[in-house]
Amino acid sequence: MGTATLEAPAVDSAVVRRRRRRDGGLQAWLFALPALAVYVIFLVYPALTSVWFSFTDWDGLSPTYNVVGLENYIQMPKDPVVIQAMINNIIWTVVTIFFPVVIGLALAMLLNGKVRGKPVLRLIFYAPAVLPLVAIASIWGWLYNPEYGAINAFLRMIGLGSLAQPWLGQDSTALAAVMVPGIWLRVGFPMLLYLAALQGINQEMYEAATVDGATKSQQFWHITMPSLKPAHYIVLALSLIDSFKVFDLIYAMTYGGPGTATQVMGTWMYFNVFQYYQAGYGTAIAVVITVIAIAVSIPYVRSQTKEHAV
Amino acid sequence: MTGTYTRRGFLGLSAAAVAAGLAACTGGGTAPAPAGQGGTTGPASNDLRWFDYESGESLERLKEQIVKFDAQAGTTTTVDSLPGSGAAVYPDKLRTELLGGKGPDVWRIWGGQIGAPFVKAKQAMDLTPYYQKFGWDSRINTEAIEGMTFEGVKAGVPFTARGIGAWYNKALFEKAGITAEPASYAELEEANEKILAAGTTPLGTGGKYGWHIMRLYEYLLETSAGPELHDKLLTGQESWDRPEVVTAFTNFKKWQDKKWIAEGALGLDPTDVEPQYVQGKNAYTIVGQWTEPEQIQTAKKDSADFGVFQLPTGHTPQRHSGFVEGYMINVKSGNPDKSAELIDFIVQPETQKALKVGSSAVAGAEPDPKESPLSYEWSQGPGKQPFYTIQDQAFPKKVADQYFSIQSDLLQGKITPEEAAKQMQAAVSAWAKG
Repeated sequence: MGTATLEAPAVDSAVVRRRRRRDGGLQAWLFALPALAVYVIFLVYPALTSVWFSFTDWDGLSPTYNVVGLENYIQMPKDPVVIQAMINNIIWTVVTIFFPVVIGLALAMLLNGKVRGKPVLRLIFYAPAVLPLVAIASIWGWLYNPEYGAINAFLRMIGLGSLAQPWLGQDSTALAAVMVPGIWLRVGFPMLLYLAALQGINQEMYEAATVDGATKSQQFWHITMPSLKPAHYIVLALSLIDSFKVFDLIYAMTYGGPGTATQVMGTWMYFNVFQYYQAGYGTAIAVVITVIAIAVSIPYVRSQTKEHAV
Repeated sequence: MTGTYTRRGFLGLSAAAVAAGLAACTGGGTAPAPAGQGGTTGPASNDLRWFDYESGESLERLKEQIVKFDAQAGTTTTVDSLPGSGAAVYPDKLRTELLGGKGPDVWRIWGGQIGAPFVKAKQAMDLTPYYQKFGWDSRINTEAIEGMTFEGVKAGVPFTARGIGAWYNKALFEKAGITAEPASYAELEEANEKILAAGTTPLGTGGKYGWHIMRLYEYLLETSAGPELHDKLLTGQESWDRPEVVTAFTNFKKWQDKKWIAEGALGLDPTDVEPQYVQGKNAYTIVGQWTEPEQIQTAKKDSADFGVFQLPTGHTPQRHSGFVEGYMINVKSGNPDKSAELIDFIVQPETQKALKVGSSAVAGAEPDPKESPLSYEWSQGPGKQPFYTIQDQAFPKKVADQYFSIQSDLLQGKITPEEAAKQMQAAVSAWAKG
């Protein structure tokens, strides 16, 4: 068997670079193709279909429908429940982000210190996050029962019976009553993220600050908080999206009631699509929810892009 | 101005153009996966699926009967159930299944405005040929068949026409010193006062979903308006903005203010509240005959410790609220003939008895007086009286929810009975006008 020496063809280096780039690009696309196909079939296509139906009067059951243009979107601001749902969404979002984030950070700092039984405490604090929402709704529904619930029973036992309320049965307390389990189950997620972030902070910074005479409060605001910036982005962005598309807890606990007092955009979308046979209008609400969720997540995406670019 | 476009910009412009096109165009279209195009072309399948909302021992009895049918018909039937959710959730699940492609071959559904959308959307088969084949017209209660007939199309086979009355705990009535069942609305109010004085909330009802507490209001409306006017109100033929309706709303509020229903009843779940008369937490509830097997017997209690009476209206005929339930066949069923055979098997008197259907619409399937004495008592008395359509079947869901919302606002004192009547008129007239 002999050997042969191949003479390299004289090819323009720019062409080689282009070919390499093209081949590399193609290869990357091939690797991404399976995931991309799943993404397109199960997310992009249904999403685009929903957008299409938002321009129709489809009832969600019949084989035919009429295209009505922007009519569903025009009707939305005239629908008092949409306005109420939007306000409830904003209240829900602010409250169920603020309290879990603050409580989660406090617990994370507690667990990051010298505390006995850390694993058990971590499990206890995170446990609500893994419970099925329907179970949470049932548990809190019983706790709130005006006659036999533990909350009113406790209030009566300690002599504060006048504070006993039909928590889920009146407009004035229903949304707040649902937000309490909403906060309870959301504390675990920021706690874990903050705990991981806290453990990544260089302890020498605290030692140096102590030597320089910085108080604990100064250390918190000037070392801890700036070091947690990436965690803040993740926690806030994901909590924001999660809070805005709230559905299950409200649906299971109050069914949007009493009346429409606890309707949010997600439940009102569901009622229209699945109960009122107004799939066109309901999907228009869904489109609006999606657009808002995308808009609020833009700062997070931009921050992530910037960090990666650096 | 130079016209340089980035790829991102181009995509953005394209999307905008598509959106503008969508927004501008008018016309019609076809839904992506519309079940309901009629029939199947392949060989008939012997695998059937049955969708129901039965629960507990009743569900087990249904499964036993379907196994019997399978053995004789050579079919394999899967039974799925979504118990406890009531008419608020079950139709959604059914609809999602139908939209998802095939859906069940046979499903159980309520009549009136709950079953109607499935017929209107041509998801449910016209069963007229099967009515002729199996002679259902002669075997099933005519009124019940009407409840499953939608704009002239017999799209469902009713198996039950259920009436609703007051089911009570005898011990709690005795404790309150009530010696006879109330025979007038005034006597019912007196009974409430006595029960409350004895330390028990009289009526167990829950306003979550709206439909349970509605049973109280519709009774009060029947009492104040009378049968003829009540029927006209339900179809929008008469205005709700009238004294009889205001009286009913006034009484409705009175029941809460007097604590004849639990404080905060609006937020209570019917599935939690309904069995409370059996548990001794409430003196009575407004429910149908299914409560005897599902709540009294499931709790291993003796039917003799409980009683049932028709809520007194003071009118002739003395009516109660009622509704029809039946079965529909999917137009995309792999085997509509076997599906119809299965329904026919289920509506045989023997099967109905084995299922312990307390208020069967099938002739010869009256409840067994030994097994279900209270159901039998009801069927022989109030059950023979005419009933008015239960209000969440009389109205489409959206109107029913508006109605529930008005009830809620009234009970919370946000609106007056007069305003409630006006708001009801606005909601019903908008629907009646189509």
